[in-house]
Amino acid sequence: MNETLTYTTAQTATDVVVSVDDLHVRYGDTLAVDGVSLSIRRGEIFGILGPNGAGKTTTVEVIGGLRRPDSGSISVLGLDALGDRPQLRQRVGIQLQSSELPDKLRVAEALDLFASFYSDPADPAELLELLGLAGKRDDRFANLSGGQRQRLSIALALVGRPELAILDELTTGLDPQSRRETWRLIEGIRDQGVTVILVTHFMEEAERLCDRVALLHHGHVIAIDTPAALAANAGAGQRISFRPSAELDLAGIRELPEVRAVRRNADRIVVEGSGDLVAAVIGTLVRAGVIPEQTRIEQSTLDDAFVGLTADAAASEVADNTREESR
Amino acid sequence: MTAIAAAPSRTRPRGLQRLLATELKLSMREPLLLFWGLAFPVGLLIVLGIAGPKKPQHSLGGVKLIVAYTPIVMVFTLTILALSALPAALASYRDKGYLRRLSTTPIGAVRLLAAQIIINFALAASAVILIALVSHFAFSVALPRQLGGFLLAIVLTMGAMLSLGTLIAAVSPTQRIAAAAGSLLFFPLMFFAGLWVPQAEMGAGLRDVSHYTPLGAAVPAVQNAIAGNWPGTVHLLVLAAYAVVLCALAARLFRWER
Repeated sequence: MNETLTYTTAQTATDVVVSVDDLHVRYGDTLAVDGVSLSIRRGEIFGILGPNGAGKTTTVEVIGGLRRPDSGSISVLGLDALGDRPQLRQRVGIQLQSSELPDKLRVAEALDLFASFYSDPADPAELLELLGLAGKRDDRFANLSGGQRQRLSIALALVGRPELAILDELTTGLDPQSRRETWRLIEGIRDQGVTVILVTHFMEEAERLCDRVALLHHGHVIAIDTPAALAANAGAGQRISFRPSAELDLAGIRELPEVRAVRRNADRIVVEGSGDLVAAVIGTLVRAGVIPEQTRIEQSTLDDAFVGLTADAAASEVADNTREESR
Repeated sequence: MTAIAAAPSRTRPRGLQRLLATELKLSMREPLLLFWGLAFPVGLLIVLGIAGPKKPQHSLGGVKLIVAYTPIVMVFTLTILALSALPAALASYRDKGYLRRLSTTPIGAVRLLAAQIIINFALAASAVILIALVSHFAFSVALPRQLGGFLLAIVLTMGAMLSLGTLIAAVSPTQRIAAAAGSLLFFPLMFFAGLWVPQAEMGAGLRDVSHYTPLGAAVPAVQNAIAGNWPGTVHLLVLAAYAVVLCALAARLFRWER
């Protein structure tokens, strides 16, 4: 146990790929990023989530060396994100939101062009195959569908065989089928040791892909954890509903430490709570001699966590403002 | 796809070569560019040579029409490329976020700008050579006798006009505005160059003014060099001044992002 701990610590210390400390970025009067700190480990898929205007894109633009922060320190792959930009561009692949190519540039030409920029590029033909664009080799950019453009953009971000890939709104505009294929591709590159930063507002995507996520709200990090842990800690927790086989006194259930709320919904009983809720409730029912029928168990999702945490953050901001006003 | 350390120095020329080849291909896919930048000027020259008066014209300072118009057509071609092709490409690359996209790669957006300028320079140079050859072999206009002076005048003209084109791209918020600004500037510039009224037929006052415009200085400089004289120092200085000032302004005002 002790050994494992030491090992984990050493692993963490040496394998931090991105380290951001107290980052501030200002656009005119507004602070887009207000004290963001995070560290990303080698080989993980790190999600950056948050509502529009939370500072997600600005944060990754600073990490990618595209934007100069007003203050804070950023180290990427052991390089200074501002001083070592030529080195960084060689080792970091970035997929930007809404960036287009010249209308008359063909798919294969674009990929060959971008491949020529890097010292050790991937095979463009193989990448086109992987992203399902092999049949579109000779199509002009202007004639591609939104999903095809998106896939080409991903290919261009990966063609330099980056150690760190920054993907902003990876699957926006893709149909469910291509979205799943893209997820498999991203898991594939992660398995080959590439670290991935994923900016997304699709909770399903974050839950499926990300090893850890940071929730951003109004330029602050309000939580960093695994998607599962965030979901579990979210206010909603779990919900069990069932039809009792016999009349049941709800007081016994309400007293359980795991239970937060109990209510009747027609002939069903709905119990909300957290921790080992299912075992506790079923145990109580068994002792009372009641059998739960048509039991449904709902686990709260990252979506609930997201809504809960951003609402909390908004509430505490309001509280702060009120306090300031009353002073 | 494992990560491998970078060796950037070896790859740069390869990237720039590929970028130049790609930009050239893209230029060749613009039929309007090829028409206005190549077919139209050569056609105009042929029409003037065949249909125009064959005898030396007193009003043109005693030279044949085709002799007076060969440098004008050269300058016309440079101007089309510089004021129309270059700003259209650069402004659309910025509008699309392509410049920004390239700035995330080792090649960077600066090299794209350089590639565009080099390609348009090369296209303009080919057009000038083609025009010189056509007017020489078809209409026996002498090849430039003062070759050094001719090349200097052409290079300075290209410098001034490409800087103006880059400046247009720099200050135009969108591709449409860049296109409009380019064609709006085209007519007065070509007027002073003598496209409609050759400078020899202009009044003295108008001619003096025109010599301080970029193309009004370019045409007599090129004409002199073709005739075998060193281009006038004032004309060369005017062109050089436009090239330096416009280029500095363009570099200062250019925005990589919308």
